[in-house]
Amino acid sequence: MEFEKIRDIIVEQLGVDPEEVTMESSFIDDLGADSLDIVELIMALEEEFDVEIPDEDAEKIKTVGDVVEYLKNLEK
Amino acid sequence: MLNTKITDLFGLKYPIFQGGMAWVATAELAAAVSNAGGLGIIGAGNAPASFVREQIQKARRLTDKPFGVNVMLMSPFVDEVMEIVLEERVSMITTGAGNPGKYISRLKERNIKVVPVVPSVALAKRMESIGADAVIAEGTESGGHIGELTTMALVPQVVDAVSIPVIAAGGIGDGRGVAAAFCLGASGVQLGTRFVCSTECTANEKYKQYIVNAKDRDAVVTGRATGHPVRSLKNHLTREFEKAEQNGASKEELEKLGEGKLRDAVVYGDVLNGSVMAGQISGLISDIKPAKEIIEELFDDAKKIIKNLYGGFE
Repeated sequence: MEFEKIRDIIVEQLGVDPEEVTMESSFIDDLGADSLDIVELIMALEEEFDVEIPDEDAEKIKTVGDVVEYLKNLEK
Repeated sequence: MLNTKITDLFGLKYPIFQGGMAWVATAELAAAVSNAGGLGIIGAGNAPASFVREQIQKARRLTDKPFGVNVMLMSPFVDEVMEIVLEERVSMITTGAGNPGKYISRLKERNIKVVPVVPSVALAKRMESIGADAVIAEGTESGGHIGELTTMALVPQVVDAVSIPVIAAGGIGDGRGVAAAFCLGASGVQLGTRFVCSTECTANEKYKQYIVNAKDRDAVVTGRATGHPVRSLKNHLTREFEKAEQNGASKEELEKLGEGKLRDAVVYGDVLNGSVMAGQISGLISDIKPAKEIIEELFDDAKKIIKNLYGGFE
């Protein structure tokens, strides 16, 4: 699960610059997302990686790092 | 008769929900709407679970028709309220201010229908995928907590995106609005402000009268800076909010300013310093009458309008 691919989806969904997206960036505080943007992002990730991210898990995703980590664990 | 997917799904005479407004939508109002052939909905708002249980039991004494509960997902009591809804096995719930995903499997197990209020296409699709029975596409014209899109723009986009029935809400106050909602592809409508101004609504008379007296531009939005904008009628409180926002008040300060203010207006009739939540359609509403009359008039007018429109297009 390469970071670049996830970053590209985030860039497209949230309309931010690629440089802004680091493992530490928080979707809400740093990337200007609201809860509805996060729903869209989660659905785009599900589609791209052909996975299901239940709402209980989606709720815990706050940063880019959380997404990378979550998808990495799914792969195992 | 007016049969749609919504009347079939919920066993109604008319495809209309009464919005589950916090403090306003009590058992009395919900039962009156259900008795008139619509779907009455009790608003749980931020109230504790014991209050919600009382309201459900009271509504059962007042009607033998189905009714629902609106569960506000940002409420500090949301988990307890969900337990009550499950125990009491109400026929349906609507949800607001978030994503009810983590509760849905237990609700479905008990055959409780789930109809989330959605302000966007993505959330509507997400709700369909987790098993929602219908969605309420609510435009920014509504009172209370609002999204950004208008009903006119949101409803057809949601209708195209999902295959479950869509209920239109926001800005509907008479038969013309109902007809328009059907033109946009909705299978039902939800009205809030119109039902505040019903005889059976237990809100303070001053609150109802403030809506009746409101003009078109009186329903203003405050609290955008908090990320949870609210539409309410212009008064001392909304001006205080505007000032605080201009002066760069923090999220916490703004939230503090709004605390308890809806109750002040609805229960105690403080329409100057309380939060008189109401939609943009307030300016159209000019009388207070029984829920049954409201509903019958809405659909009589809507039917006439739709019929005449077809004639007109030929």
